[in-house]
Amino acid sequence: MRQQIIDAKNSSHNSGEADECLFEYLHTEMVNYALSKTSKNKEGEEELSRLEWMGFSVGYRIIERLTREWNRFKDELDMIKFICTDFWSSLYHKQIDNLRTNHHGVYVLQDNSFRLLDKIGTSNNKQYLQESPRLLAFTCGLLRGSLANLGIISTVNAEIATLPSCKFHVQVQRI
Amino acid sequence: MTIHNLYIFSKNGTLLYYAEWNRLNKSGITKEEEAKLMYGMLFSIKSFVSKISPLDPKEGFLYYKTSKYTLHYFETPSGLKFVLNTDNATHNARELLQQLYKEVYLEYVVKNPLCQLNEPIQSELFKLKVDELFKKSPLFLSRSI
Repeated sequence: MRQQIIDAKNSSHNSGEADECLFEYLHTEMVNYALSKTSKNKEGEEELSRLEWMGFSVGYRIIERLTREWNRFKDELDMIKFICTDFWSSLYHKQIDNLRTNHHGVYVLQDNSFRLLDKIGTSNNKQYLQESPRLLAFTCGLLRGSLANLGIISTVNAEIATLPSCKFHVQVQRI
Repeated sequence: MTIHNLYIFSKNGTLLYYAEWNRLNKSGITKEEEAKLMYGMLFSIKSFVSKISPLDPKEGFLYYKTSKYTLHYFETPSGLKFVLNTDNATHNARELLQQLYKEVYLEYVVKNPLCQLNEPIQSELFKLKVDELFKKSPLFLSRSI
């Protein structure tokens, strides 16, 4: 009986990690905190570097745990593919919907229903479009941090055209 | 069976949301006035019911019925109040209100970081989902009485 209960629990949140809404609420508060610490600069853009840095550290650590049973990656594309599939699905319970690259170090990762955005709006309303980029800063850092630990130095930007889909632009810095 | 209108009140009586579908008789006062009146009445009924009850009032006030319509009342432990007016043929509106709370309010208000709690709900997506839920419900048959 006891075993059954444990099994049911594991299958409902497949990895036995903390319930996902905890992360969502904590993320909300992190965004609010980061915004309250810094005022808007001259262009009216929000100062999100603190949030991005938090994401970087988290991503850097997560990669250690997620790749513990993996072999070494073949090349850069292999790593990006890992990010799009396993990494993304263990964090956001779905895979990246579309990956594009120019084979010169630029990758575009598109998620058509990003979890941190899908409660906010649909494609046919423009409400909250202004505010939603702040919800992506952490994830940008997450990507940058995890790639950094895999040995890829990059810059990551995010772009939202219509909610709840978004694109992450990864630009690899070659030295 | 018809659904007339819906009010959502916060714990301290702010009108968070109002929607109407088949309402033929307007109250003739502003929405804010009407909300205050409604909340005041609910508040009184609630305390009346709990005082007058000869037995332990477990859930307290559930609904009342006039000759023309029924008012269904659902309050969450956190004090959020859902009020739905339907015609008299509707019986299981409570389930619908529970569903509204669980599947729409929690998902699209509580989990939306850009929504302030205890303030009137602005989210367009929430409005859309409320409308969707009610229109697909078997209780919703839009014919005029």
